[in-house]
Amino acid sequence: MHSGAMMARYTAKDHRRQTWMVMTVYLVVMLLVWPYAHRVASVPLKVVFTLMAVTPVVAMIGLMARLVMHSDELEQRVHLFALSVATGIVAALSLVAGFLCAAGVLKLDGDILLWVFPALCLAYSAARWLFGRRYGGMGCG
Amino acid sequence: MKNRLRELRDKHAWSQGDLAEQLDVSRQTVNAIETGKYDPSLPLAFRIAKLFRQSIESIFVPGKD
Repeated sequence: MHSGAMMARYTAKDHRRQTWMVMTVYLVVMLLVWPYAHRVASVPLKVVFTLMAVTPVVAMIGLMARLVMHSDELEQRVHLFALSVATGIVAALSLVAGFLCAAGVLKLDGDILLWVFPALCLAYSAARWLFGRRYGGMGCG
Repeated sequence: MKNRLRELRDKHAWSQGDLAEQLDVSRQTVNAIETGKYDPSLPLAFRIAKLFRQSIESIFVPGKD
């Protein structure tokens, strides 16, 4: 989907600005609200704190989808290649860690799942940079 | 695939940014097409041809591959 000639393009700059805003909210929630999730005994309250922490992340995924949908065809190609590679890498690493854990080699608890999304973002950024270089550095935008 | 995009753009004295704006794509995409790093889709090739009032085959020439 493309924005059309009459509308201003949703650029990587717009995306960065909005991402920073969402990440600031996430940071504030994690620093000020999340610590209470360990202290309170009420399960519904724990669920509320969890939803508060996850909401900015879901918003970020929405922003990412918006960026891809408003990108031109080459940008979409780079985004989708990078997302595919990142998903594959994180899935493979999760599988390896899962098998090692099941075999008793590694001892992991549920908190490790918190790293799946950041790992996906990191792998996506690296893959996007690499694919962008092929087309003249558009992954850096 | 080879193309005459750069030549046509120079004729109109447009920057890559000007052309990108008219085609509703990013400047990087125009650059990637001009340098032969990316072959545009058929709809984008048609938009380019329409913009320069030329046929697609007069702008895009098949390469060896």
